[in-house]
This record gives sequence, structure tokens and C-alpha cells, in this order.
Amino acid sequence: MDWFTKLVEEFEVAFIVDNRWKYIVSGIGSTLLLTFLSLVLGVVIGIVIAAVRSTYDKQYTDMRAGIGKTLLNIGNGFCKCYLTIFRGTPVMVQILIIFFVIMASSRNKMLCGVVAFGLNSAAYVAEIIRGGIMSIDPGQTEAGRSLGLNYVQTMAYIVLPQAFKNILPALANEFITLLKETSVAGYVGVTDLTRGANIIRGITYQSFWPLFAIAAIYLAMVMFFTWLVGKLERRLKNSER
Amino acid sequence: MNANKNEILISVRDLKKYYKGDKIKALDGISNDIRRGEVVCIIGPSGSGKSTFLRSLNLLEVPTGGTINFAGQILTDRKTDINLCRQKMGMVFQHFNLFPHMTVMRNMTLAPMKLLGKTQEEAESRAMQLLTRVGLADRAQSYPSQLSGGQKQRIAIVRAMAMDPDVILFDEPTSALDPEMVGEVLDLMKALAEDGMTMVIVTHEMGFAREVADRIIFVDGGKIVEEGTPEEFFTNPKNPRLKDFLSKVL
Repeated sequence: MDWFTKLVEEFEVAFIVDNRWKYIVSGIGSTLLLTFLSLVLGVVIGIVIAAVRSTYDKQYTDMRAGIGKTLLNIGNGFCKCYLTIFRGTPVMVQILIIFFVIMASSRNKMLCGVVAFGLNSAAYVAEIIRGGIMSIDPGQTEAGRSLGLNYVQTMAYIVLPQAFKNILPALANEFITLLKETSVAGYVGVTDLTRGANIIRGITYQSFWPLFAIAAIYLAMVMFFTWLVGKLERRLKNSER
Repeated sequence: MNANKNEILISVRDLKKYYKGDKIKALDGISNDIRRGEVVCIIGPSGSGKSTFLRSLNLLEVPTGGTINFAGQILTDRKTDINLCRQKMGMVFQHFNLFPHMTVMRNMTLAPMKLLGKTQEEAESRAMQLLTRVGLADRAQSYPSQLSGGQKQRIAIVRAMAMDPDVILFDEPTSALDPEMVGEVLDLMKALAEDGMTMVIVTHEMGFAREVADRIIFVDGGKIVEEGTPEEFFTNPKNPRLKDFLSKVL
């Protein structure tokens, strides 16, 4: 039972001595906070991009030539570029660029992380939301417009509430993906869960426990949120009369 | 409201709608006047442009050319506030297009509250009045998916009426209904016609057109081929294409 005693000893060194488990616990907090704030930023920017893109898709051909049409065309081009760049480069590279180039003067690492993951996530969220908007029967828009509601009112009262219900599960899945992706935030010094494990590794020269522990914690969080999403999906389905 | 029975409400001149440059001519120069209180039925083979014509009247389809004058407003002029004009032009769709995430009551009160500045109380009492009239007062708190097709379409009609429009446009209102439900919708439309509501109806219900319409328009190839009173229209059709069409559907 030599190996077992050794494992227990290593466990003690990794987590118990000097209260090193606190690195893990605060890491969980940072990871969740980073994921949550990034998703909020991603949804906010994503809604703007999706609004421009879906307005272009739905309205452009029917619009009369003028400043509005030109602006929409430019806006749509800009959004397409944004999507191509942020979905076409590794998130790791994006976070390095944001930390070392764009926000090099900022000392707030968490903020850099939120900006980097938020901008990245926005690209994916935008397409989720656009899909949700486009999935609503055009007859709904026509019914709203025929009553005299303008485009924005029709979107706000009729299309978006229905679209939101359809995309909620996909948004929740984006949260789960983001949760795992934030594990690279440690590279720019955010003390997230992965970084916490690396700190312990640096102090103790032990890899087994810290790495397997965070793997288990990530897995547990993902499983928990997946279960939550499933529950949400079932509830949404039930509310469809 | 019906002070001027003969006043022209909608005046359409040389209306054109082209797709793909000018390869497809959905509407190829349609002119017509619709008077207040008139019930006009539009018939024609599928793909003839009759629905496009109807949907152009409230600019759901933006015409390529021509003018539409609605109660003195030039709808085809870009300076005209189309949203304001649409408040006075109700529309009923083939597939009902009720808002599935709202109760029947909310479906009917949304636009009056947001656009006419009615309080919830005012809007609801008007909605209740209309629902009672069509015998659906007990469904006020139901959701559209809990209703039958005929009920949905009757709700769609009173939803349009809740805005107190000057005219209601019907786009094949009974085409998506089970046969046994067609009657209840047509009965309601007939009652509206008797009340003096101005109605423009795209329909395949020849019996209804014959009985209720003041005037029937036959559209084919994006043009008005023949128009007249139901009497002359059905008993003495002149155009060979109309004769052919009638021989198939009657």
C-alpha cells in the first residue's frame, strides 16, 4: 500500500499544507465570474451585431436607396468582418493581443479577460441570435407591421420574445463552451481555476493532484450546467401550448 | 364613418411590381378605385398576382412603380408615414399570424395600446366587446395554439378590427381552414360587409364572392382582365381566360 500512502501524502502537500486549496476555490470563483461577465458582454454585443445582420437580411432588398440603406450596408460589412476575424483566429491569440497590445496599459487582468472572451463570444452569440430571429415565421413580422407597429416595435414585442425562447438552450450551451475556453486566461495572469492548479504545481512540483482535481471540477461544473440546460429545455417545451 | 358612401378610399394607378430586374412581372400596371363601404373580391389563378396586389395596398410588398392613394395619403411616396396609414388598414392573413406567445386578449390590445394610446382598460373593454360579438369571449385568456383554425381566423379578424380601420384586406382568409370551419369565418365576414366595412378580399370562395361582393376583379398575368358586379361577372363573362377559369372552378 506504498503508493496509496504516497498519494495521500501528495494530496496533503497539494491542497492541505498552507491552505493551498484556497487557490482552487478562488480559481473556481474567478472562472465562473470571467465566464459570466464574458457571456453578458458577448450577449450585449451579439444582440447589436445580430440586429444589424438580420435587419440587412430581411429589409435590404425592400429598402429605398438613401442614407439608411448605405449605413446598413456598411454596418453589415463591418459585422461580417468582425465575425470572420473573431471566429477565424484562435481565442488564445486574441487574448494575447488584447492583453499585450490593445489593453497593454491596463493592470486589471480580469477586465482584459472579460473583454477578450466577451468579444470572442459575441461573434458566436450573434449568429445564434440571428438564427433565432430568422427562424421566426415572416408572417409574424407582417402581422405586426400590418397593425401599424414600426420595425423596432415589431422586433421588441413580437419577434424577439419568440426568438429568445428558441435560442435560450443554445445560449446556455455557449456558456458551457465558454466555461471551458476560459482555461487559457491564466496565460495573461487571470487567476482562474487552471492558473490556480498551475500555481500549486509551481510551489509543490507535483502535477497529479492539481491537474486531475481541476479536470474533475471542470467536468462537474459542465455536467451541472448541462443538466440545468436540459431542465430549462424541457420546461420551455412544456410551456408551448 | 359612412357619411360618404361613394367617396374613393383607395385609388391605385398603374401599379407595377417586377422581380429580378423586369424579368418577372407580378403586377403589370394595375389601376383601380375602391370606394368606402365597398366589398371587392379579387379572384384569379394562382400566380396571377392577386395576392401581390393586395399586399401592395399596405406596402407589405413595395411596388416597383405606380401610385397608391389611401384617403388622401400617397402611400408610395416615401415621405408618407406608412406605419400611421397601416393603422387604418387592417389585414387578415391566410395563416392567421396570431402572436403565439400572447393570449387572445393581448393579441388584440397590443397595437391599440401602443399605437392609439388607449389605456389597458379601454383596449380590453373594446376587445371584449368584439370577442362577444364573434362568440369567443370565453377564449380571451387562451393562447392561439389552444384554438381551432376557424377560431384563430375569427380572432385575427377582430384583432384587425380592434384598430378601428377604414378598410380590411383579406389574403385568402379561408384557404388554410378545414372545410367545416370555412363557414364560421365567411359568416363573420358577411356580417362585417353588412355593417358597411370596406373590404378587399382575395378568395377562392366563388359562392361567397357572388353573394357578398359589390364588385369582383379577375386578375391574370399581373393585370386586371375583367371586373364587374357578381351578376354580370358570373352569368355573362366576356374574357376567354375568365370563362376558362370559371369553367374550372364552378
